[in-house]
Amino acid sequence: MLRACRRLLRPGGRTAFHTIHPASGLTKAQRRRASRDGPVAVACPRPHRQLLEAAGFVDISETDLTTEFAVVTRAWTEQYAAHREDLVALLGAELFEERQADRSAQLGAIDAGVLRRTLFVATRPVGHWR
Amino acid sequence: MAGAETKQERQTLERFAARYRLPQNEATREVELAVIGGDWGANGYTTMAQADLLAEALGLRPGMRLLDLGAGRGWPGLYLAKRSGCAAVLSDVPVDGLRAGAARGRAEALSRRVSAVVASARHLPFGEGSFDAIVHTDVLC
Repeated sequence: MLRACRRLLRPGGRTAFHTIHPASGLTKAQRRRASRDGPVAVACPRPHRQLLEAAGFVDISETDLTTEFAVVTRAWTEQYAAHREDLVALLGAELFEERQADRSAQLGAIDAGVLRRTLFVATRPVGHWR
Repeated sequence: MAGAETKQERQTLERFAARYRLPQNEATREVELAVIGGDWGANGYTTMAQADLLAEALGLRPGMRLLDLGAGRGWPGLYLAKRSGCAAVLSDVPVDGLRAGAARGRAEALSRRVSAVVASARHLPFGEGSFDAIVHTDVLC
């Protein structure tokens, strides 16, 4: 997808994206936990900086957003609980509980240090193709 | 499902499609306001403050053309178009989310600058160099 993004950008154009991913330096068991308890996108095979470089982007910057990720995950859980009656009526009890369970597992993985969220910004270079 | 190439992708896209088929109500709006800080139909982890940082990082301004991949109901692309004055294309597979985004775009008087395209990120129907900026938040890589 990042290669497609580079193609669609004009030379000098920029992409900025948030991504949830396993922390670096994890054991196999920890990576399995990050994949199991995080969103599907966590299954990404390589670090995003490498993927961006391989796709031909330059001026790559990254900003860690993991602390905010935990705050927002916790907030979804708490706000869902606070609006439980209305949301169960809308979603059904099964889906409501599934979402709460997913967020609880995700929060556990963030707190355990295996799941992170990062802002990447990168530029399509001007004047050459790779 | 169109746009999916693996079983896992199909399952994920179906989950999101089912999510966007559910109506929004006052409770979902209140939850989103409390969690994200806005009511743009967000269901992920990008807050209003983080969307503002995306706008700054991309240098969005009037005359620029932004692509939001995996836009869902239009978050954050719609908001970025409104905030910055840029044009935006919202792209995703679930059509119900894009319908909601297009309706919000009309309500925000953004129809002349915002369009929605049903497409997978793997098969994007745009020409080379079509955009000044591309944004996506927590989508499949």
